[in-house]
Amino acid sequence: MDAMTLPNADTVIARAKQGDPVALEALYQTYSTPAYHLARRICRTTEDAEDVLQETFFEVCRSIRNYRGDGSIWGWIRTVTSSKALMRLRRNKYRDTDDLHDELAPAKQASHALRMDLESALERLSDTARAVVWLHDVEGFTHDEIGAQMGKTASFSKSQLARAHQRLRNWLGEEALT
Amino acid sequence: MIPHLTMAQLVALRDGDRSEPALADAHVHVATCAECQGELDRLHQRTARLRALAVMTPARDHFPAIRARWQGDRSHRFQRRVAAVGLAIAATLLLAVIGRDLVAPPTLDAEDQLETAISNSQLLEQRLRDFRPDSRVLDGATTEVVIHLENRIAALDAELARQATAEPAARLEREVELWRQRVGLMNALVEVHVTKASNVDL
Repeated sequence: MDAMTLPNADTVIARAKQGDPVALEALYQTYSTPAYHLARRICRTTEDAEDVLQETFFEVCRSIRNYRGDGSIWGWIRTVTSSKALMRLRRNKYRDTDDLHDELAPAKQASHALRMDLESALERLSDTARAVVWLHDVEGFTHDEIGAQMGKTASFSKSQLARAHQRLRNWLGEEALT
Repeated sequence: MIPHLTMAQLVALRDGDRSEPALADAHVHVATCAECQGELDRLHQRTARLRALAVMTPARDHFPAIRARWQGDRSHRFQRRVAAVGLAIAATLLLAVIGRDLVAPPTLDAEDQLETAISNSQLLEQRLRDFRPDSRVLDGATTEVVIHLENRIAALDAELARQATAEPAARLEREVELWRQRVGLMNALVEVHVTKASNVDL
């Protein structure tokens, strides 16, 4: 998703680097929504997403001096957010439900087809698959970047993405082409 | 019959992934296969729908809590840094003191040296008195040495008495020197008496 633009970005970032709370709050107010949206799409619960948001901007406050301005400030915050969200997934050790989904009774699978909306299908993916889909297809991270953040390879990210899309395709059924 | 494209190939086509080995073949296939073209269109459509999902917003403003935590953390880190610097300074001072003592033993100032010399001299006199030399017999050669030492000590005592009226600036160092000499003579005198006494006892 496209983040909002930060007015006077250079000035705000320079002040934030000096520890100016007003500048740091400006960063929060500008980027907390896209950061939360990203966190919420990776985490299963709103509570986890809210925690990730707090962790993210606490890290932003602590580490903004390390931001060198190579990319956009949102790109940097987005990377911090995804890293914190993936960390939260690992910490929670959510049960990876891939196998469970594959073992669902055919009748139940059939009942889901055609009626499941995209939100529900996304929720139904395993944590890893959902994170890969979101980070790659929506946030625009490369497979190399996703693999690095997950401690895996780019190939792992690619295969997760293909498998996730295959599942989404199956669960969503024959989507109407417009 | 040409097999239909896998989802991995469709995703590679969508992304223009040049690392996919059969990307060119996949392009050719999808151009002639309505079914795979349909799947590719569905993939594009699904991706677009993912990007269009409703934006989720946090339930409340977390910044006050974040700021409080950050400021607490900054304060804590500052205190830790101050403590670390303090420890480093203390360690440096300790090393400096130990190092100095290792390189050169500590030196006393002139007044301490004088006090030490007088104290040593008094200890030796006490030891000589405890020995009670007047009650012992000395041979002629030893008596000559004893008389010589006692004369030199008497001369030093006269010199020390004169120092009482000397210029204060130069007096201290001279007194230290005289008292050290006196300690040396007293030491020799005690040594002579004890050695001789030992010989007698034998």
